Amino acid sequence: MRITHLFVVLAPCLLCACIGGSNGTATNTVPPTPTVNTLAVVVDAGPAGVSAFNRPYVTVKVCVPGSTTCANIDHVLLDTGSWGLRLVRSVLTASGVTLTPSTDAQGKTIQECAAFSGGQTWGPVAPADVTLAGEVAAKLPVQVLDDTNSSAPPPSTSVCVSSGSVHNAVPELGANGILGVGVFAQDCGTLCVNATPAQEIYYGCTATAAGVCTAENAALAVQVTNPVSAFATDNNGVIIDLPGLKNANGDATVQGQILFGLATQTDNALPATGLTVLGADASGDFTAALSGGTKALPALIDSGSDDYAFADSDPNMATCLTNPPPPQQPSSAQWSGYYCPIVSPQSVSVVNTGVGSNNATNTVQFAIHNPNTFIATATAFINLGGGQGSTRFIWGMPFFYGRKVYIGIDKTMSGTLKGPFYAY
Amino acid sequence: MTLHRVKWVSLALAFGMTPWCAAPVNAALGGDTASVASDADALQGVIHSTPLQQYDIHDITSGNGMRLREFQNRSGVVFAVVWSGPAMPDLQKLLGASYQTYTTAVAAANHPGLKRPLRIATSDLVVESEGHMRAYTGRAYLPALIPAGTSPADLR
Repeated sequence: MRITHLFVVLAPCLLCACIGGSNGTATNTVPPTPTVNTLAVVVDAGPAGVSAFNRPYVTVKVCVPGSTTCANIDHVLLDTGSWGLRLVRSVLTASGVTLTPSTDAQGKTIQECAAFSGGQTWGPVAPADVTLAGEVAAKLPVQVLDDTNSSAPPPSTSVCVSSGSVHNAVPELGANGILGVGVFAQDCGTLCVNATPAQEIYYGCTATAAGVCTAENAALAVQVTNPVSAFATDNNGVIIDLPGLKNANGDATVQGQILFGLATQTDNALPATGLTVLGADASGDFTAALSGGTKALPALIDSGSDDYAFADSDPNMATCLTNPPPPQQPSSAQWSGYYCPIVSPQSVSVVNTGVGSNNATNTVQFAIHNPNTFIATATAFINLGGGQGSTRFIWGMPFFYGRKVYIGIDKTMSGTLKGPFYAY
Repeated sequence: MTLHRVKWVSLALAFGMTPWCAAPVNAALGGDTASVASDADALQGVIHSTPLQQYDIHDITSGNGMRLREFQNRSGVVFAVVWSGPAMPDLQKLLGASYQTYTTAVAAANHPGLKRPLRIATSDLVVESEGHMRAYTGRAYLPALIPAGTSPADLR
């Protein structure tokens, strides 16, 4: 506060200094150069061999810790619905970066089975120096996704094998990695620190053969960590800022940005009015209820999901089928599992409510279109929905187009707002 | 709680069931009362049972927030399992004899991707799994064993 006042008083002299040469007293009042905190986000078709849509990608600089052996990994999925950075091993290797796995107190290699909605990732945890724009997370625990099967596989009877399918390779992920910048610092948290028996999430492995990994607890500092939490500054959250789309049937590409920090620099201030702040619970969820529906569902704002994902009992909200009963029209197989409203578009109204002290209520209206009318070459669709049978509500990528979405990290303050929260 | 379990196992024996022959140990889906107790043991959880007209509901909760709800029909067979919690349950244990059907269907499925819900629907078995880190939910049921008058929507 005092420095600010001094700056105001001395500002005219600073101007003099600029014009007239040196001024010894003024140098102390110059604010430090702000850290560059904006990183480009692009929605496009994804890495080679992938036909992605509604996937926001960033480029991540990753280095062997303490070295200048670095690579810029493009097409890393920007995901507000997970926590921590995961990079595909073959992509790292092709870029000349080999990360050495972390080890536990017994010298075992630490590996992880990270479960997502439709499958898991598997591979060792390794420290890396990670740079996003001008922000650095040094010795950050990241997961190396073992698409080359170079590390020990998960135990054959473990959750990682039984829950579905492992997605470690670029075609399965539709990305070269996943950058989880959601509302928590670690991907598992306290659940993985002291469980008896240990959760089947972190493992200690004695070799690279089969049958050498056993589940074990992992301290928070060891767990795969949201890089934003590890920055020296601007570490309390992010803003994802994407423009609106020009075409209801899809835009070819979208260019936007992610800003690091909330209310820490001039470019990441929180608006004084008009911001809906939705506090999240210990799972990272707030609640959402369809208008007219009675049940409030756990909800999150998830840039890693490609659609509005929720169950809708309206008979007009048909799920796309290649060979449906009339009057529904047949759908391209590409859209199986998404919504194909019989009369399109179908409008939807949803009430979001925050949890805890940030308990705002806000109604959001949007439309679901039959995706068979979408432009084949486009990669960004604002009217895509799906999720019949779901018991959750996911505000996926369509929600981000034309909005600034604020993510406040757990156990941090953003101005007067306490994380974890989502805001828009 | 211990008493509760002992009673169930005794009941199973009393009715002449042979739980460890019908399905692998720990099998809940398609299993019997003993398999419910086994699931509770695996979770170090507490069982709370609610008898309804068509079926019994067994709720198992553990100290770390894992919840299982198992639906047992009047023939004593668990025909549906619903889960929620901060970690994924072990579906190999939960699905029991249906696990092979599940893995075959998963392998054949057109994978929707890491971030979309997993849904397997065959005539014998339905499995729905979704969620995100720290919050997973899902269910599995045997359509043929759902009691008359009960809808899949009831199995939550």
